[in-house]
Amino acid sequence: MDFLHNPEFGDKLVTLMAAFVLVFQIAMVGQRSLIMNIRLFGAQSFLLAAIAAVIAHYNHAPHIYVAAVMTVLVKVILVPVLLERLVDRIEIRHEIEPIVNVPLSIVISGGLTLVAYIVGESFYHPETGAASLGHNTLAVAISVFLIGFFMMINRRKALTQVFALLTLENGIFLAAICLTYGMPLVVDLGVFFDVLVAVLVLGILVYRIRETFESMDVSKLRRLRG
Amino acid sequence: MTGAILKTLAQLVLLLMLAPLVSGFIKMLKARLQMRRGPGILQPYRDIHKLLRKGMVVPDSASWLFSATPYVVFLATLLAGLMVPMAAADTPVGLFGGVLAVVYLLGLSRFFLALGGLDTGSSFGGLGSSREMTVSALAAPTLMLAVFTVAIGAGSTTLAQIAKVAINQQWRFLEPSQILAFAALFLVLIAETGRIPVDNPATHLELTMIHEAMILEYSGPYLALIEWGASVKQLLLMTLLINVFWPFGLAAGWSLAGLAAGLAWLLVKLAVVSCGVVLVETANAKMRLFRVPELMAVAFVLGALALVSTFLF
Repeated sequence: MDFLHNPEFGDKLVTLMAAFVLVFQIAMVGQRSLIMNIRLFGAQSFLLAAIAAVIAHYNHAPHIYVAAVMTVLVKVILVPVLLERLVDRIEIRHEIEPIVNVPLSIVISGGLTLVAYIVGESFYHPETGAASLGHNTLAVAISVFLIGFFMMINRRKALTQVFALLTLENGIFLAAICLTYGMPLVVDLGVFFDVLVAVLVLGILVYRIRETFESMDVSKLRRLRG
Repeated sequence: MTGAILKTLAQLVLLLMLAPLVSGFIKMLKARLQMRRGPGILQPYRDIHKLLRKGMVVPDSASWLFSATPYVVFLATLLAGLMVPMAAADTPVGLFGGVLAVVYLLGLSRFFLALGGLDTGSSFGGLGSSREMTVSALAAPTLMLAVFTVAIGAGSTTLAQIAKVAINQQWRFLEPSQILAFAALFLVLIAETGRIPVDNPATHLELTMIHEAMILEYSGPYLALIEWGASVKQLLLMTLLINVFWPFGLAAGWSLAGLAAGLAWLLVKLAVVSCGVVLVETANAKMRLFRVPELMAVAFVLGALALVSTFLF
């Protein structure tokens, strides 16, 4: 069981899972079904939790385990369940309609990933040696973040923008965990609480927008109603 | 010299005999997963045997292209199959360009298949050909990108060399670039073999059929050759996927024990990949034809990212 203590193996493991995070992110851009989007988000968050746990193990930083467990509880279980209930309640059966068509969106996401890799590389200092666990995860984190932004711009419906926000937050979490090996626990807890409250508030907001405007299309929010 | 001929013959027999078995295995597994009994695992052999003995009907409007197509398809696919490592890392035939030659041979067979579909002048054939060309025009660049990713890692485009390098780096397939290339190649496998999100291999009754529409006019031995060629192509793409990304167990030399072990590993890995294909086929509904470019765009971007990330890390 030598590999359990070999940081090189840990690095490989983290990089591998980060690659899957990126694949899920691109799949989310390409996926039109709302429910599938929520599940992909859940899977992505689960991988994030796994990355956090691996980093916690190899860096001997037990407080990151708490972050990992919180990720599983909040982002893998609670948020997807809440969102699926919201989708049920507002009875959306139709698909996501992005502004830029799907193949082009995917190609744009690919371009954004390139940008992220180029940006991420400037942070990479091989001379620091052992501290580089998960250094190439930073590029993935930045690209998840950028693609999240792009998804937010690219989608019309308020609810789909909520997912985009959530994936964006996943990107930030990944960046935080691979750069700093876990922020202080208080910050982590605050962020999780934030996400949860954001989902609740946005859920209510989406519901209200639909009640008032009979649509979730945010481009219709320009007209004022008395 | 005799050794080379022996190797070629051995691989030829392996390709021809194993290909229908893989098709049958996928069909059986799919039926079981959908709670049907389904045909037995040997059904493709029986189908080919039956078709080979039957007479055939050639349309009046068909030219020599119609009769040349099955032979070209079958032979080009077989030749490509001889260039892919199966049980051993060495391949019997190594044409210039290695994996590029494989891609172009598959392209040649597809080109003739599309011509054969157009040749009879039936509207279904033309429809199938035009769709096949649309899908393959999107799938081929992805295949190239994925293959280049691996070729850059190995410093060679010869498949034997790629497999040998991969054997020495057991855990290389866990690198992000390899994962992305694997995902891209898997999507190409699904598109090129006409599996469910792209095309439905099980029916002639759909207006959205691609492969089946092209070969609608073929019957008897010609149909047998085309179907056999299609299953060889499926086996070829699967072994390419397997031996380029997870080459463990592949025999490096030509010892008998090594070959037997290589063959056993090959069967195990083929079964795993088949399970993956079956799961995808069962879990998804067929896509609308206009949605296929979206899937291919995902595959293309994955391939492009794979290639780029080999340079970045």
